[in-house]
Amino acid sequence: MADFRALVLQRHRQLKWKALDKVEAVLMVLCGVCIAMFTLSALLDVVTRTLGVPWLWLQQVTTAFFAWGVFVGMAAATRRNDHFYLTEITKRMTGAPRSAIEIVNRLIVLVVAVALVWFGWKNALLDLGSFRMPSLIPLTVYTAIVPAAGVLVALFTIEQLVNGWKNGFEGPEDRDEIRETLL
Amino acid sequence: MSAPAVLLLMTLLFLVFGYMGVPVTFALIGGVLVATLFTPISMQSMVGQLFHGIDSETLLAVPFFLLVGELMASSDVATRMIRLSQTLVGHLRGGLAQVVTLFSMFFAGISGSSVADVAVLSRTIAHDMAKEGYDRAFTAALIASASTMANLIPPSIMAVVYGATGDVSIGGLFLAGVVPGVLIGIGLMVYSYFFGPTGVMKKRAPFTEVVVAARGSALPLVIPVIIMGGILSGWFTPTEAGMIAAVYILIVLIPALNRGHVKELPRDFMYAGLLYSLPLGAVAGASAFGWMVAFLRGPDIVAGYITAFAGNDGTIIMLLLVAMFVIVGDFIDAVPAIIIFMPIIRKLAEVGNINSLHMGVVIITTLVFGLITPPYGLSLLVASKYVGVGFGKAVVRSLPLYIVFLLTIMFTVAFPKVVLWLPKQLLPESVGCFKAPSSTGYICPP
Repeated sequence: MADFRALVLQRHRQLKWKALDKVEAVLMVLCGVCIAMFTLSALLDVVTRTLGVPWLWLQQVTTAFFAWGVFVGMAAATRRNDHFYLTEITKRMTGAPRSAIEIVNRLIVLVVAVALVWFGWKNALLDLGSFRMPSLIPLTVYTAIVPAAGVLVALFTIEQLVNGWKNGFEGPEDRDEIRETLL
Repeated sequence: MSAPAVLLLMTLLFLVFGYMGVPVTFALIGGVLVATLFTPISMQSMVGQLFHGIDSETLLAVPFFLLVGELMASSDVATRMIRLSQTLVGHLRGGLAQVVTLFSMFFAGISGSSVADVAVLSRTIAHDMAKEGYDRAFTAALIASASTMANLIPPSIMAVVYGATGDVSIGGLFLAGVVPGVLIGIGLMVYSYFFGPTGVMKKRAPFTEVVVAARGSALPLVIPVIIMGGILSGWFTPTEAGMIAAVYILIVLIPALNRGHVKELPRDFMYAGLLYSLPLGAVAGASAFGWMVAFLRGPDIVAGYITAFAGNDGTIIMLLLVAMFVIVGDFIDAVPAIIIFMPIIRKLAEVGNINSLHMGVVIITTLVFGLITPPYGLSLLVASKYVGVGFGKAVVRSLPLYIVFLLTIMFTVAFPKVVLWLPKQLLPESVGCFKAPSSTGYICPP
């Protein structure tokens, strides 16, 4: 069984380029950094408030790391196939029908990712003129993560489409999972 | 295209995408973006809504409670609480089944995540249950059912999400979840005692053993006191209480009870960072979806259908909502379901003059049931996978346990005074009471 806590998940290896393993590892590290940083900033917020010298900008640091973490995690989960699914019906399929559905699914994700990039970028540019009080940080600092995550999701989806087309979408772990479920 | 038609199209697209195997987050966003094409709303503002959906300080509590669950599960500190449960109820008929339920009640007071509870129990006690002859399907069904208490007994991630999106007191929802949570626990213990496998009967643990086990669990059991004590005393918000609990585990619990785990902490953080992004990514998509539902006057449409049948009767409205959410919970994860349907819930609470806290705890209890019902019973899916049994077999063994959940839901609907008693005593404002101008007491709605 794959080590789900590994920096680079070895499940569905046939859908991955080795070159992008480092990106996945960096994203996982960033996930850890984001949650560690907003834990620390939330702690400092409580401590400084209790001491009677509140640092008001800490709340903005906290929410920034929180929001970045969500979108960085969304990108990492795309490469690791770790998202929530309503069903994993495709894992029970084989051959051409499976490939067809897997390709359609990834094209849908790709279209969404492109929308995130294009409209997210427009929003980020617009947000250069909006500022968070009291630190006066441009809102773009927060919202720029949306198109950035979109780029990564698109990249990983293209990686899976190309490799799935070449190597097939079925992996040995699918057979294991089906066997486990049928036992 | 008319508003109901766009609403229908958006919902159908989400379900079709989702059941084809598109991740929930992208299925939600995909459905919303297509629907946006048929409205005057710009794509840019809908994509902006994804960010605004998670730009909430209250939702920060979700990663903290997930982090707490992950740290407790991975550091093996939770096994001390399993030992305590064994000394307390291990001698009863179906001893290990009783232990599973009692431990889940303890663990629910620490973690807000059912999946963390399933992970701990599957890694530890499931093996012992197999050795004692409990069939795997029953083990998976019981672990999954017991784990649902994590979303009722405070802290609860569902309560955080419901409170944040529905503008309902999270502290109040935490307290109101205690009664249904404990009822489910008692129901599962009663079922295991009379109808579950017998297991290996053991002698009652001597008092000294109970004391030793209680002493060993004392440090972890401080966490519920920190969380609820901090919230009720007004020292912390629910978000801060989650953070303080995580910090307590990091600087007190792990160094004191499992020092060797310290080197694993970076990995815990990375994995917890990934884990929290999954529901919150879905929250981002669901908030855009919910926004569109509200824009298309979905609440008015659904409220129209429901009031045509139920009139303004709060109880009937609530029962119809329960029926609706039993179905919804079968197909959609609870967190996006809460956000998508929140505009409709609020509208119906207004029409039926239902206390918002009562409505919240009924909806959460109903959605908790969805964690063990097919086809999308997340807890049961995870438990059957970990325990190594087919999902279908686990579903069959869960069927009698559904009665416990249905009775609990009915109790929660029918006896609001019992369910809301605790929040009324400890957080009166959360049930709509306000301070009397001339005295220190509160004036509460009937």
